[in-house]
Amino acid sequence: MSKIFHVARREFAATALTKGFIIGAFIVPAVFAAAIPLIIILTMGAKAPTVEGTMAVIDRSGQVGDSMQSFVDGQIEQNREEIEEAVEQTQELTEQLTGQASPLPGPADAMLENAIGPDPEISVELLAADTDEEAEKARLRPSAEGEGGEGLLALAVIDEDAVLKPEDQESFGSYQVFVRPKLDDRVIDTMRDAVREAVREARYTANGYDPAEIAALTRVRGRATKEISETGEERGSMEALTMMLPVAFMILLMMSVMIGGQYLLTTTVEEKSSRVVELLLSATSPMQLMTGKIIGQMCVGLTLLTVYSGIGIGALVVFSLGDILPVSAVVYLFIFFILAYFMIASLLAAVGSAVNDMREAQSLQTPVMLLIMIPYILWLPISRDPNSTFATVLSFIPPVSPFVMMMRMTSSQASDIPFWQPILSVLVGIVGAYCCVWAAAKVFRVGLLMYGKPPNFRTLVKWVRMA
Amino acid sequence: MNNAIRMSNVRKTFGKKVAVEGIDLELPEGALYGFIGPNGAGKTTSIRMIMSILFPDSGELEVLGKKSAVESKDRIGYLPEERGLYRKMKVHAFLEHMGRLKGLDSGAPLRKTVMSWLERVELGEVAKKKCEELSKGMQQKIQFIACVLHEPDLLILDEPFSGLDPVNMRLLRDLIQEQHDTGRTVIFSTHVMHQAEQLCDHIVMIHEGRKVLDATLDEIRSRHDPRTILLSPLNGQLVDGSLDAIDGVDTVMTTERGVEAHLTGSVDSGRVMRSIMDALEVSRIELRRPTLEDVFIEIVEGTGDPDLRKALRDESVAVAGDES
Repeated sequence: MSKIFHVARREFAATALTKGFIIGAFIVPAVFAAAIPLIIILTMGAKAPTVEGTMAVIDRSGQVGDSMQSFVDGQIEQNREEIEEAVEQTQELTEQLTGQASPLPGPADAMLENAIGPDPEISVELLAADTDEEAEKARLRPSAEGEGGEGLLALAVIDEDAVLKPEDQESFGSYQVFVRPKLDDRVIDTMRDAVREAVREARYTANGYDPAEIAALTRVRGRATKEISETGEERGSMEALTMMLPVAFMILLMMSVMIGGQYLLTTTVEEKSSRVVELLLSATSPMQLMTGKIIGQMCVGLTLLTVYSGIGIGALVVFSLGDILPVSAVVYLFIFFILAYFMIASLLAAVGSAVNDMREAQSLQTPVMLLIMIPYILWLPISRDPNSTFATVLSFIPPVSPFVMMMRMTSSQASDIPFWQPILSVLVGIVGAYCCVWAAAKVFRVGLLMYGKPPNFRTLVKWVRMA
Repeated sequence: MNNAIRMSNVRKTFGKKVAVEGIDLELPEGALYGFIGPNGAGKTTSIRMIMSILFPDSGELEVLGKKSAVESKDRIGYLPEERGLYRKMKVHAFLEHMGRLKGLDSGAPLRKTVMSWLERVELGEVAKKKCEELSKGMQQKIQFIACVLHEPDLLILDEPFSGLDPVNMRLLRDLIQEQHDTGRTVIFSTHVMHQAEQLCDHIVMIHEGRKVLDATLDEIRSRHDPRTILLSPLNGQLVDGSLDAIDGVDTVMTTERGVEAHLTGSVDSGRVMRSIMDALEVSRIELRRPTLEDVFIEIVEGTGDPDLRKALRDESVAVAGDES
């Protein structure tokens, strides 16, 4: 037992207590995490510059012109209202979720204000219908600003037949907006929408409709979608979040299993190719060596899993969303990690023991890696319908069962999963892990001292049978 | 006396290839045994079976009174032929790790033992270096320390001298001798015969998976009775026919070692030597002791037959003549 412990200890120290690992696993994400508040602080101080300028309009239809300024102002006001409404909805949602006031206090509102920026100030310059379009376009060039002449933000050209359709024509004419380079796309949208609205209203009027009445008739505003919870409570729908959760859990699981397994493969190949393995075998049995190595790298995977799930849970708690994550899911995350890890890692240890160098390992580890990829490929159908026969069956087939079960349990319909299914999945996983370790141990024992031609899968199967 | 190792009728095959065939061996405690044989003879396979790294197909094996070395691994020190170190590990950390795997308690005493061993092999200053920074000879010394650190009762060394320079070879030989002197059983394999000759009191020779010789060095020497007298004439030149005339001398030939007079069948070598000294003046005369190499080649080539031996010898003379 103590030998397994010493092997595991060395394995963990040689992997996790190295500069490369600490930098890659902790410092880089920590720098990112630290950078986010820094960016927030920096952006809070910075104000987006106000966009000021003129939009020239050549109205060849002669029906729009005068009212253009009011359309532009109206559009700007409407944009502001829409944003404010969206913010209100978000705050309402989080309030409902957490029973607290907006978790985004003052600074967040200020941040939002900054992100939106002040309203643009756009004045409309109405030009004669016969104005030379090309000459006006020249005023859009960035160089035009400095050359005495006043630059333009945009030039809108409305076709002659845009409002009134001649009898012999099937469709209405159109309009086009030319803009100065590198203009904020929100400003462009505002101006284009304003021209479109102006043309539309001109058409209503020309055809004898009341624009105000049409606007009232066509405007249908839906309220935010609400979920009715088990207790009959109304709350905002968290569709996006509930879709993300299973994926986040599965990726976390996959990542820690893959990293731990990959390290195990590498260190096994290293021990074999550096020939230290025979020295080790004089002190331990192959089974002790393999078990120690698997446990050591499992601790590496667990470290990663704890750190990253800790960051994730921490983030949820900070945003007062902790309650969307059931505690049982976190417990099962660790159980399923251990099961999935034992299955995948023991197979990779067997691969590592059978080959002479990493290059040879590539071809043999591909099938094992593909096993991990299966649930990743299937995440969409599984998370959409976690209780389909397909998903249910997959959650009992090792080695994909831990991944699939984890995904099902964190999906939105987790409450529909019969209580015995996760338990059965765990039991099946234990059997699967035992079989993998058993077969891997046989390959490991034979493979470690075999040098020369790299074995193929048939040889590996033969080793399992013969040992 | 108890046996440290006992093998009876042990056989091991790899696929169709028979690596070891019916080896019987009894190795008493406290002995210093040499395993000799050409490359691929089955030495390493036998040693790996003793170490329970490989398992025999049939036959019985007993190590330190236990059915398998697995049960007494901590009492055995093993220096494998295929040896390596953890390249990225520091020397002292590696040795401490090996010590712990061999059942030593970690902590200050282990560190002290490691340091005192490193100083003994003049590697005290590399303790904090990474293993990959050491030369091959230094690495080999570290590996040797790894296998004696836990003061094992049985020391198994597979080709311990390969790759060492003469100075380190002597150092290692002294260390092995010292281990033997403290009463430990030592068994080492080599294909370089004079190393075995310098160290061992008992030789086991393996050839094509079979044991072909199992005797003490003295026994081997007396069994392969010297039938050759080596001499150097005082004036450096030998008068043709002056030796052939002496009763008991079969053939005479000149080699780089001097003049070799091969004796006939059952003649008393002492009497022939006196006759030679009467017949001519010599600066040196000796009864040539057969080296282990001679014995080895004799067995390997199956030249127990004197005629065949003579033919081989003539052949080598012819080759020597061509070269000069």
